[in-house]
Amino acid sequence: MGSSAKKKREKKKDFQKPKLKVGKARPKAANHTETSFRSKAIVLNQQSLHIEAPSTVCQFGHHLSLLSSRADAQRRDSLAYLTSFVTSRPVDSSLPQPLSTVLPKIFPLILDGSNGVRQQTLRLLRALPRSEMSDHVAEILPYIRAGMTHLAADIRLFSVEVLAWSTDIASDEVVSCAGGWVKTLNCFLTLLGWHNQDSAKWSTNRVSFGKAGSEGKAQSRNLQVLADFLKAGFSTGSDLSETDDNLESRFPFPRWHPEQHGLPTRSNAYGYLNLFGPPKDDDTDMLEDREDRIRVFKERFASSMEAGLASARKDAGEVGRATGLVTKALKDTEAG
Amino acid sequence: MAYRLHNDSIKLIGFKKIEIPQPERGEFEDHYFGNHAEWKKMDSTYYDPSTGTIRIYFPVEAALVEHNGRLIEANHLGELDMEQVDSDPTRLLRTEKGNYPLRRQTGSKFGHLREENSKIVAMPKRKLGALEKVDADLPNLQHKIRRDPTSYTEDFRAQYYQYENHREIFMAAPTSATDTGILSLRDLIDFVSHVADCYPEISKSFPQELIDILTLHHTILEPELREKIVGSLVLLRKKNIIDSTTLLQTFFPVLTSTPSKNLRTLLFGKILSDLRTSNSKATNHKLNRTIQTVLYNLLTGDRTSSKGLWAVKLTRELWRRQLWTDAKTVEIMKEAALAENEKVIVGGVRFFLGGDKEREEFEEDSSDDDGIDVSKIRHQVGINKKRKKASKALSKATTAVKRKEKKRNQPHPLNFSALHLLHDPQGFAEVLFSKHLQNPKSRLNLEQKLLVLQLVSRLIGLHKLTVLSFYSYFLKYLTPRQPSVTTFLACLAQSVHSLVPPDILESLIQKIANEFVSEAAAAEVASSGLNAIREICVRQPLAMNDTLLQDLVMYKKSKDKGVMMAAKGLLGLYREVGADMLKKRDRGKEAALGLRSGQRKQQVFGDIPAGEIEGLDLLEKWKKEERQRKRLEKGLPEERSDNEGEEQEEGEEEEEEEWGAWDIEADISDDSGGWIDVESDKEIEISDEDEESVEKKRVKLDVDLENKENDAPNTTETKPSNLATTRILTPADFAKLQELRAQAAVNLHLQKKGHKIHHPTAQSIPLTNSHRHMDDPLTAAEIEGLASLSKGRTSREEKIAAQDEYKTDRAEHKSKAARKKERKTDEGKSTTNKEKARKKNFLMTLGKAKQKGKRSLVETRKVLKAHSERGKRGGKRGNR
Repeated sequence: MGSSAKKKREKKKDFQKPKLKVGKARPKAANHTETSFRSKAIVLNQQSLHIEAPSTVCQFGHHLSLLSSRADAQRRDSLAYLTSFVTSRPVDSSLPQPLSTVLPKIFPLILDGSNGVRQQTLRLLRALPRSEMSDHVAEILPYIRAGMTHLAADIRLFSVEVLAWSTDIASDEVVSCAGGWVKTLNCFLTLLGWHNQDSAKWSTNRVSFGKAGSEGKAQSRNLQVLADFLKAGFSTGSDLSETDDNLESRFPFPRWHPEQHGLPTRSNAYGYLNLFGPPKDDDTDMLEDREDRIRVFKERFASSMEAGLASARKDAGEVGRATGLVTKALKDTEAG
Repeated sequence: MAYRLHNDSIKLIGFKKIEIPQPERGEFEDHYFGNHAEWKKMDSTYYDPSTGTIRIYFPVEAALVEHNGRLIEANHLGELDMEQVDSDPTRLLRTEKGNYPLRRQTGSKFGHLREENSKIVAMPKRKLGALEKVDADLPNLQHKIRRDPTSYTEDFRAQYYQYENHREIFMAAPTSATDTGILSLRDLIDFVSHVADCYPEISKSFPQELIDILTLHHTILEPELREKIVGSLVLLRKKNIIDSTTLLQTFFPVLTSTPSKNLRTLLFGKILSDLRTSNSKATNHKLNRTIQTVLYNLLTGDRTSSKGLWAVKLTRELWRRQLWTDAKTVEIMKEAALAENEKVIVGGVRFFLGGDKEREEFEEDSSDDDGIDVSKIRHQVGINKKRKKASKALSKATTAVKRKEKKRNQPHPLNFSALHLLHDPQGFAEVLFSKHLQNPKSRLNLEQKLLVLQLVSRLIGLHKLTVLSFYSYFLKYLTPRQPSVTTFLACLAQSVHSLVPPDILESLIQKIANEFVSEAAAAEVASSGLNAIREICVRQPLAMNDTLLQDLVMYKKSKDKGVMMAAKGLLGLYREVGADMLKKRDRGKEAALGLRSGQRKQQVFGDIPAGEIEGLDLLEKWKKEERQRKRLEKGLPEERSDNEGEEQEEGEEEEEEEWGAWDIEADISDDSGGWIDVESDKEIEISDEDEESVEKKRVKLDVDLENKENDAPNTTETKPSNLATTRILTPADFAKLQELRAQAAVNLHLQKKGHKIHHPTAQSIPLTNSHRHMDDPLTAAEIEGLASLSKGRTSREEKIAAQDEYKTDRAEHKSKAARKKERKTDEGKSTTNKEKARKKNFLMTLGKAKQKGKRSLVETRKVLKAHSERGKRGGKRGNR
């Protein structure tokens, strides 16, 4: 029983009232938490107190910054706003910010996880001025290629759509920029599962990674886009020759080769010299000539492409028809 | 019959058609339609009366279906994955060239099934796995690849392109790299590096790309990506895709140039661990040399930069772990010590001063950290249930202990200290001295200078170098007011050796005596001055002149204990090394006798006594005794033998025994005899005319020698032992030597205790000097030595503090019983009945006491009877 008295005393201790003394600070409670802090400077953000609504230019910038927002809906809405802004602006007025600052914010959204965002991105890209876009195709291609080999089937499908669009607006630039021909064809082969002859024989090796989407439909679309792409690659740069003729006619005899002495008509005209970029290898080489492209194609892709086509032709229906398109594009090359 | 339900699987069902023979058909139909209910119970059969066939349905187990040119295998219920057949069961049957869609069954139980009797039925069965719902599941793919790399080549290729494109995006604008979509570059790098070993062909440029990213952009990379790249490179190293040299040559420049502290720590750790692992099995000389060259170039390339500090850090760490123990390592540190950046200099110098001690301590730590108690584990195995795990643990523990034991018994690896591995100590010491100490432009502060000074003085003392200007450097600093003057004094003493010209030292000693040792100086000052002089004179006794010595010895009468002891120390020293310089009354008995007999001679400058193995005479003596004992055991006379043939035999026997006992382990007991030692004294050799055999001669000689010894013991003492020059000493001999030396030291102590000692310090000097190894530094503490005795009376606080040092961790004084009780309660054990009774509340016991008084006589009798009965039984629980 001796211990119980001790226990009692201990218990009592918990409930003892703290003694308060006049003129002394109040003792701190046992569970008192220190909340004060020290800081060199305290910044109070000013509330924005504007009466008038923010200008459209300002809003454009704001929405542009919101493209990297965490919320899917927010990104989609901002894209929608930008799209409507671009389409509804008066003709011949330029964008509030140059394309070179706008596009790097839009391109990553090609690989966005949300379907809505991606669709809206394509809509915005379509709305942007075509003529200016062709200069930036080289920047978008890595994103497209990343999309084409993405684990998610939807993104693969979508990026093929984007490639179709870019081939449509700037066929020359797509196939002739650095790595545009070799790397993109490589991605196509992976996408179609034709990478080497062995894999073409075994249909199970076909790309089945990630979550399957509507694969059957996708295959035919992929083949269509591939046909377009090949066509673009094997065609001669028609625009250039036309302009040459014009120049020749405009500046007659005494001036020779006016197209070489005049100002370049394309952006980054001396890009093939690769003055500032990382060193190029076979994959990242710029193939500006049709002959170069054909040569590379024959060296590296023709055999696997043909084997793949042969097996794809056996699939009836849409895929078979799309195969026909590709075969036609290849035949045209041989003819022309 | 193919239809689709809400789930994603299709079921393959085959059927067997049995045609009923025409004559039996009527009979069968009667039965079929008559017992329709019975037949209906077997719901997998169906009778078609028009053709007279009966069909039996069954699921097709493990069927192989060709679809779209692919072969798809069904599971054991004949189910097919909806995804694999492109969500379109109708197309499953559509084939080209009339191929059978059903190729064969893998189980092949039913043989081939024909096309006409196979139908497809979709059944709701399969559930979607959680991982498959995720859009981009790289870990899942990684797991699949690990299990079956060849099947997933295409998937990997796709992801590799994905990585390349992301990398391209990143390289185009490394600063503004944002998280692109669901997959980031970081994830892809992680993925590729984990499975890169499965596809060396596809991913051959991957390591170089990572290296490029890290070296070019490490300053602007986002920290997480940066860490991932570093980790991936290490992973690639572990998978042997890149070699250590590449890895380290990538990391090292980044380590020295990055501004990020986190990255630095990470890289340093990785570099160190990689070096450790590549040196773990066998020393990787090639790699070590490469890295040492890199470090060396780093130090010598730009001497002013502080980048060299990393070289110092790394080298020191590797030295500590004994991975690098060669001269090249020391060369690196030498360059560090000669650098121009203060931090690097101090790093290098500290390494030489403390690196070896650190190494020893680390070794001790690592050797006794894992104390596995095998007996405990064995005991537990004996008690507990027998499990495979427990027995495994036991065997593991025993092997570990055995390995440790083996390691302990292995000959100690010869690790030379850094100071001994220096190539050109003279040049190093001279450059260090002129560059950091003499040079007026040197920007080192006092503390750093002292470190350099310590190193230079140790080099000079250890290697007996001659740097004459070094001693005059001290003159300026030898005043009591100089901060940390004791360190200066210690350095000076340390740098003195027997080849330093005495006249240089004389002025220094004079200065110390003048500045420090005077009646006016404080006691601590005087005692440290005297100590310093003694330490110098121990190393070069000729530096003292007799007037000064006699002056200094007078301080033995000082009132202050510290000064008195220091002066006595000096006196004791000179009684041994130069008694003639002392006054006659100070010489003491032994020294005076020695001087008179002419045994003690004045030392001469530059005279180096012949080196010998310490304690060799002890060994020799022991061997002799041992031999005698053996002879006695055999019943032979102790000294002389007549039968020489027997002698020879015995000698050979012993010889064999000796070589057999080459290992120390075999010779731990004292019984294994000693060597027969021969004093090949010319005189004796001539007298010995027996040339028959060496062995015989040997024994004979010994006998002669002993006889001679008995006659004149003094003469043998002076003769230097040549045991070491005539015989090869075995490791067993060295072990014995060690033992004898230790015993001699103990005996000396015991003698001292037994004797009445007049001058304790005087006697202890040679002892301490013999114990101090050449490699051990002389510290300021030793110079201060007895200064604590000189301080006046200690204050109360100091006394308490001194008391506290010896305090044990026992909280309070309590009786043994009380402590035992406390321990019991701490362990959660209950009290005994006795304790309970003792603790019982008094009021509770009152009732019983009262009752006791009110008992009737009968009751009392009963109780008493019971009590006596119980006593006979032997207590309540006694033996009945």
